[in-house]
Amino acid sequence: MLQSLVKNVWIPVKAYYTQVYQEICVGAGLMGFTVYKIRTADKRRKALKALSPAPAHGHH
Amino acid sequence: MNENLFTSFTSPTMMGLPIVTLIILFPSMLFPSPGRLINNRLTSIQQWLIQLTSKQMMLIHNHKGQTWTLMLMSLIMFIGSTNLLGLLPHSFTPTTQLSMNLGMAIPLWAGTVAMGLRTKTKASLAHFLPQGTPFPLIPMLVIIESISLLIQPMALAVRLTANITAGHLLIHLIGGATLALINISAITALITFIILTLLTVLEFAVALIQAYVFTLLVSLYLHDNT
Repeated sequence: MLQSLVKNVWIPVKAYYTQVYQEICVGAGLMGFTVYKIRTADKRRKALKALSPAPAHGHH
Repeated sequence: MNENLFTSFTSPTMMGLPIVTLIILFPSMLFPSPGRLINNRLTSIQQWLIQLTSKQMMLIHNHKGQTWTLMLMSLIMFIGSTNLLGLLPHSFTPTTQLSMNLGMAIPLWAGTVAMGLRTKTKASLAHFLPQGTPFPLIPMLVIIESISLLIQPMALAVRLTANITAGHLLIHLIGGATLALINISAITALITFIILTLLTVLEFAVALIQAYVFTLLVSLYLHDNT
């Protein structure tokens, strides 16, 4: 199955992904890095919110 | 009422399982690629449209830029078909999600910038300073041009998200208003319904135009950098 996958999918697009889209792959890495940063920041914010049970706008 | 308005934009789940990937993959089922020389009517119409679009969009590029034809044609077909399918009632449009549009905009924009910096470094850096600027203005103009460069992916993503989301919200609101007005005054409901029809026609145009604008801008960024 892997061989048929390689023959039918990878061989036709090999030239694209190895030569033409090199810079797009760099951009995709940049996007993955951004996604990772946003996700960890959100996780940190949620952990911080769970840690402090006092409501934010409760007492003025 | 607020809750009802925005629930159509939440990530869809079926019995607790997220099916958003299936929904994103669905439009590809509408574009068959049988690989024959002469196809049936549907495939021939699609091929003719794709050839028309690709000729119109890729003629301005040189040889290196034209290697991106496959990417740009897939992009315009995906955004166009997703936006048009989103006009069906109760359907989910992936392009209303900012995350998806950023995921399309950032790699493509970064790809064009990286290509420009890699192949013609001096010329792509020279884009930061337009020709003929007075000498004292140069530092400020470089800052302004670099900000306008860095904002390009954000603008691409937010433009598409905001246009499609705003259109869907308007259709929801005016449709709800039409329904509410039927019992109160039939003529006002009819006028609102005519507004709804015109809005739907507009949304068809917006769906296609937004796909075109997205792809065109990426193609322009590519042209600057090849």
